[in-house]
Amino acid sequence: MTIVRTEKLCKVYNPDTVPVHALNNVCIEVDEGEFTALRGPSGSGKTTLLNMIGGLDKPTEGKVFIDGHEISSMKDSKRIDFRLQNIGFVFQHYNLIPVFTAAENVAFIMMLQGRDKQEIRKRTDKLLDQVGLGDRKDARPAQLSGGQQQRVAVARALASEPRFILADEPTANLDTEAAMNLLDIMEKMNREQNITFVFSTHDQRVIDRARRVVTMVDGAIDQDEIQDPDKT
Amino acid sequence: MKTLLTLSWRNIWRHPARSSVLLAAVIAGLWAGVVTVGLVNGLMQQRIDYLIESEITHAQVHHPEFQAEGYSWLYIPDHAEIVEWLENDERVVSFTSRTITDGMLQSPIKTSGVRIRGIDMPSETRTTNFHDNLVAGEYLDSDIRNAIVIGERLADEHNMELGNRVVLTFEDVDNELTSASFNIVGLFRSASTDYDERNVFVRADELNALLSDTPVHHEIGIMLTDETRAAEVVDALNSEFSGIRAQTWRQLSPELSMLVELGGVMVVLITLIIMLALAFGILNTMLMALFERMREIGMLLSIGMSRRRVFGMIMLEAGILTIAGAAAGMILATLSIQYFSDRGLNLEMFAEGAAQIGFDHIIYPTLSVAEYITILAVVVMITLLASLYPAFKGIRINPLEAARDA
Ligand SMILES: Nc1ncnc2c1ncn2[C@@H]1O[C@H](COP(=O)(O)OP(=O)(O)O)[C@@H](O)[C@H]1O
Ligand SMILES: [Mg+2]
Repeated sequence: MTIVRTEKLCKVYNPDTVPVHALNNVCIEVDEGEFTALRGPSGSGKTTLLNMIGGLDKPTEGKVFIDGHEISSMKDSKRIDFRLQNIGFVFQHYNLIPVFTAAENVAFIMMLQGRDKQEIRKRTDKLLDQVGLGDRKDARPAQLSGGQQQRVAVARALASEPRFILADEPTANLDTEAAMNLLDIMEKMNREQNITFVFSTHDQRVIDRARRVVTMVDGAIDQDEIQDPDKT
Repeated sequence: MKTLLTLSWRNIWRHPARSSVLLAAVIAGLWAGVVTVGLVNGLMQQRIDYLIESEITHAQVHHPEFQAEGYSWLYIPDHAEIVEWLENDERVVSFTSRTITDGMLQSPIKTSGVRIRGIDMPSETRTTNFHDNLVAGEYLDSDIRNAIVIGERLADEHNMELGNRVVLTFEDVDNELTSASFNIVGLFRSASTDYDERNVFVRADELNALLSDTPVHHEIGIMLTDETRAAEVVDALNSEFSGIRAQTWRQLSPELSMLVELGGVMVVLITLIIMLALAFGILNTMLMALFERMREIGMLLSIGMSRRRVFGMIMLEAGILTIAGAAAGMILATLSIQYFSDRGLNLEMFAEGAAQIGFDHIIYPTLSVAEYITILAVVVMITLLASLYPAFKGIRINPLEAARDA
C-alpha cells in the first residue's frame, strides 16, 4: 500500500532574489513497510524533500499526498495536526525538550494527541524498553549520550503511532557504534512491527542497511534501487 | 493542561538568573508604583491637612470683594448674626473671626509688604493649630502691648530679634493712612517660607482699635465635623446671608485644588514611566528567552504541538512569573508603606526645596485599597501585555527551524 506519493515536486528557495532550485520535478512513492535511505551529496535536496513529505514546508509546485490526503495544500494549523497524528520525526539534533526527562519526552507527544493517561504510561515504558533505555527513563537529555538521545527521539516518533517515520541524517552526530545501534533498533521495528522508515544519510554503512536506496543529485532523483541489506 | 504547566514551570527554572531578573522587574515595578503613589498621596494629604488645620479651615466667610482687594473697609456685614448662626449649627465644630488688612512692615533696614492678620487668641487656638509653628518667644497671649508675631524668615531679612520694634502702616476703614509701632514677641516658621515672609500676626482688638471705631471682621474660619460637609454648610451660609461670600477650602485655595489634581497627574506620569520600563524589561527578557529556543519551538511545531499550545506555554511562563512577582511585590510594598506610614519617610536632603513650596520634610505615605488594587492590576496587565508580543512571535516560528542544519 502506498503511503507517500509526490507529484512533480519543485522547490525554489528565494525565488525573488537568488533562486535556488532545490527540487526539480521529483516524483517518488513510498509504500508501507519500506526501509528507505535517501542518499546524495550535501546540497542535493535530501532535507528539502523530507521536509516536503513531512509537511514541514510547502512545495513551490507539485503535490504531496499522504494516504491520499494532499498535505501540501493544507492550512497550517491543519497540517500541524496532521503531522501529530500521522508522521513521526527524528531530526539530526534538537530533538528533545531539554527540561523533560526521556519518559516525559516520549509521553508528551501522546499527551498532545490526547491519549489516556494509563495508556501513555504503559506505552512510554514499553517504547523506552524497546530502544534499550528502560533504565534511563528519568534522565534528562543533557544526561544522555548522543546515541541515547536519538533513541529517545525514535521512541517518541513511534509513540504517536504514525503512518511513517522521517529521519533526516539521524546518525550524523553519532559515532559508529551508536549509529549502528540506532540502525539496529530502527531495523528491528521495521521488521517486527512493519514501521515505515525514510531516512537521509551520506554514511555508506547506513546506506548498506537500507532495503531501498534513492540517490539524489542536484534536486532530482538519479537512482532508485532495491538492495538486499543482508548480502554484506 | 497539566503537562503544559509543567513544561512552562521547568522552562522558568532553566535560566534562574534570567527569570529572577523578570521576577525582580515585576516586584520592583509594583513596589515602586505603590511607594510612589503612597508618597505623592501622603505629600498632598499632609499639605492639605496642614493648610486646612493651620489656616484655611474647612470653610471661610468674607466680604465678596475682600479677597481680591484686601482693603480693610471690605469687612463682613452682619457679623454678629453670622456668629450666632454658626454657634447654633451642629455641623460646626469651631470657628474664629479675623481682622485683616494689607500693609507695610518697616524696620530701620527696609520695608516689606505684608498681610496683617488680627486674630482672636482663644477662638483661633480652638479652630486652628497655627500656634504650633511658633519657634521663638511667645504667642499673642503675651502681656506686652501691641504685640506682633512675625515669620523667622522675615525677621532675618530685617535683621530683627525678639523684643525689637517694627512699624506697621495701613489704611483704616475710612481710607486714612495709619501707623503704629509693634513689639516682636514671637517668631514662627510655617511649612512655607513664602508664607512666612508675607504674613504677620497681631491681636484683633489692637488692630481693630487702629482700623475703626467699631470692631470689624474680614474673615471667619470654620472647622466642621466632616470635611465633606463643607459644600452644604457654605451653600446654607450663602443663601442665609447677603453681602457675604462663603467658600469651601477647595474654592478658597485653587492652589490646593490644583495640587490635588497635579498629584493625580504626577501619580499617573510616574507610574506610566515605571510601567514603561517594566514593559521593556519584560519584553526584552522574554524575547531573549524566545530567540534562544527558536529551534526547540520549531521542533515542537514539527512534531505536532499546535500554535495555540505554544502560545499558551509562553504566556504561562510569563503568567507564573507575573503572579509570583506580583505577590512578592505586593507584600514588600505593603510592608514598606506600613513601615513608612508609622515612622514617616524623612526627606531632609530635599527639605530645603520642599519647605519653599510648603511641604513637610517627613512624609507619611498613604494608599487606599482601591489604589493598591489598581496598581496591582496595572502591573499584571502590563506584564501580560508585554508577554503577548514574544508569544505572538513564538507562534510564528517556522517549524523548519528544527530541521535546519546546524
Ligand atoms: N532555507 C533555504 N534557503 C535557501 N536555500 C536553501 C534553503 N535550504 C536549502 N537550501 C538550498 O537548497 C539546496 C538543497 O538543500 P538541502 O535540501 O538542505 O540539501 P541536503 O539536505 O541534501 O544537503 C542547497 O543548495 C541548499 O543550499
Ligand atoms: Mg540535509
